[in-house]
Amino acid sequence: MPFRFFFNEAVNSLVRNWVMSIAAIVTVLVSMFILGVGTFIFINLQTATKAVKGKLEIELFIDSSASPEEIDRLGEQIDAMPEVRELRFISKDDAMEIMRERLKGSEEMLEAVSGNPLPASYQIVLKEPEKIEAVASSLYGDPIVDKTVRSTLADEMDSSDNYMVVSQGEGIKFDQKTYLRIDEEILRVSGDPQGDRVPVMRGQSGTETAPHTASATIYKVDGIKTGGETTERVLVATKYLLAGGSGFVALLAVASVLLISNTIRLSIFARRREVEIMRLVGATNSFIRWPFIIEGMTTGMLGATGALGLVLLVEYFFVKNVVTQMPFLGAETVPLLWLVGLIVGGGILLGSIGSSLALRRFLRI
Amino acid sequence: MRPRHDDGVRVITFENVSKIYEPNIKGLENVSVHIERGEFCFLVGHSGSGKSTFIRLLLKEFEPNEGSITVAGRNLQRMRRSALPYHRRNIGCVFQDFKLLPNKTVADNVAYSLRVTGQAARSIRRKVPEILQLVGLGDKMYNYPDELSAGQQQRVSVARAFVNHPSLLVADEPTGNLDPDTSVGIMQLLYRINRTGTTVLMATHDREMVDKMRKRVIALEDGCVIRDEDKGLYR
Ligand SMILES: Nc1ncnc2c1ncn2[C@@H]1O[C@H](COP(=O)(O)OP(=O)(O)OP(=O)(O)O)[C@@H](O)[C@H]1O
Ligand SMILES: [Mg+2]
Repeated sequence: MPFRFFFNEAVNSLVRNWVMSIAAIVTVLVSMFILGVGTFIFINLQTATKAVKGKLEIELFIDSSASPEEIDRLGEQIDAMPEVRELRFISKDDAMEIMRERLKGSEEMLEAVSGNPLPASYQIVLKEPEKIEAVASSLYGDPIVDKTVRSTLADEMDSSDNYMVVSQGEGIKFDQKTYLRIDEEILRVSGDPQGDRVPVMRGQSGTETAPHTASATIYKVDGIKTGGETTERVLVATKYLLAGGSGFVALLAVASVLLISNTIRLSIFARRREVEIMRLVGATNSFIRWPFIIEGMTTGMLGATGALGLVLLVEYFFVKNVVTQMPFLGAETVPLLWLVGLIVGGGILLGSIGSSLALRRFLRI
Repeated sequence: MRPRHDDGVRVITFENVSKIYEPNIKGLENVSVHIERGEFCFLVGHSGSGKSTFIRLLLKEFEPNEGSITVAGRNLQRMRRSALPYHRRNIGCVFQDFKLLPNKTVADNVAYSLRVTGQAARSIRRKVPEILQLVGLGDKMYNYPDELSAGQQQRVSVARAFVNHPSLLVADEPTGNLDPDTSVGIMQLLYRINRTGTTVLMATHDREMVDKMRKRVIALEDGCVIRDEDKGLYR
């Protein structure tokens, strides 16, 4: 097949028919742009929800007076629950170890703590994050669950700062006394109550303000802590966003196909004499069709290439401006190869579907 | 009636062919014609007598309502659709309205029928100037059709029809749009092509030309063959 000949024919026809061609190219551009940006948003939501999902654990702090048998019994009870996917036990010693790891570089803080005030805990990962509240409340009544432990909402703190992070998912919880002691220690070390190292911790309902500093907020969780509601909302939002986005992209894709098909129809019409002559001199059907198919594919590809450039630009500015302002967003860009495949491949696909549609309807051979 | 040369190789065989256009217009009626390889043959008759219908049947642009048509040993009614392009490549055609592509140069117009057959670019580059030289347009290769006179355009179209060296060349009133002198030029071209062994079938109104050439004449009237003679006259 003389590809160069076909390509020249296609480009000539594209240029001759430029108004329609540009309309079709722009439609492809818009639909592929939205597809690309949608993918970018989706990937980031995915990472965000994955991160949140990882935190979607119930931590059950165990009263320090509980006997090993009682602890085992609770463990078996939890393990038997059908909603539970994973269960880890963090002993007091484990918790201390993790704590030490966390505080590396400022061990002096731990010197302020006598003995091991950290409670043992069960970390429960559920199969479906949606069930978190139900499971948590069913466990709440157990006698060995420590209802006096106070915790902080880890989601709202940032581990990269020099805060004293009491992170969920790592089994480090303090009773209020210890917590306040460590807090004071930080204050002492930093020497500046308004300084960076002052832990700013906010809670949801039931928030109590710690007595010693206005900026430190601790909230009571009654021995059980879940990351429920917000996460649930994020999950649902992701679902809707995905559905809505896909629908929108599909709609635009259909519009692109129809416009390309119409462009090709016009170019078939403009070249009907040529087609007639081609038939007379013995051109095969595929020989007649190729230039039109290539024309459609080129239209799709031009639109897609424009879209690709725009998406890369959006990613660039998003990462540059938004993420540097709000580092916790930690935006991930779509891998370039993926993006190229998705957008350019999508554009070419739309183009070839559009032109085959036109050929089938208007070039019966 | 013309004697049959049954020993020759037939290029065209029409056997009791009838063509009726929708709704009920007679195109051809019960036409039986045999044309041997290497013949030069005129198809004459009044306007509407069925000359173009004959040629279009030959090209398998549509099917006859009755009868059978064989071209170069192949029965057109039994031919598969996918074989049609190859059938057409075997027939060069020239028309009254030239059927050139206005946005392609003379050379590209001629190259067109070579490209269609999938010939290599190199042989296309060699053959196109050669054939244009032959029709006397070696210096017009890169002109566009509308920069040529009618006679020159018809030469381009003859060049395109012949560049593949088909075994059969059909021309439907190729001189219909040309003045007498230019017509003679085209006629000579077709005659030279015939001399290379190519069968030529030419539909025409041109009485003078037919009478001068003294070739075989098939006369149609109202869709029927009314006369078929060697070295005939237009009458
Ligand atoms: N596509 C068509 N549909 C209907 N009738 C047609 C069609 N083509 C030709 N005819 C009719 O068939 C008859 C033969 O037409 P044809 O074109 O073969 O004549 P012709 O001899 O070529 O005439 P001319 O010398 O004017 O070109 C005419 O009566 C014409 O009106
Ligand atoms: Mg005619």
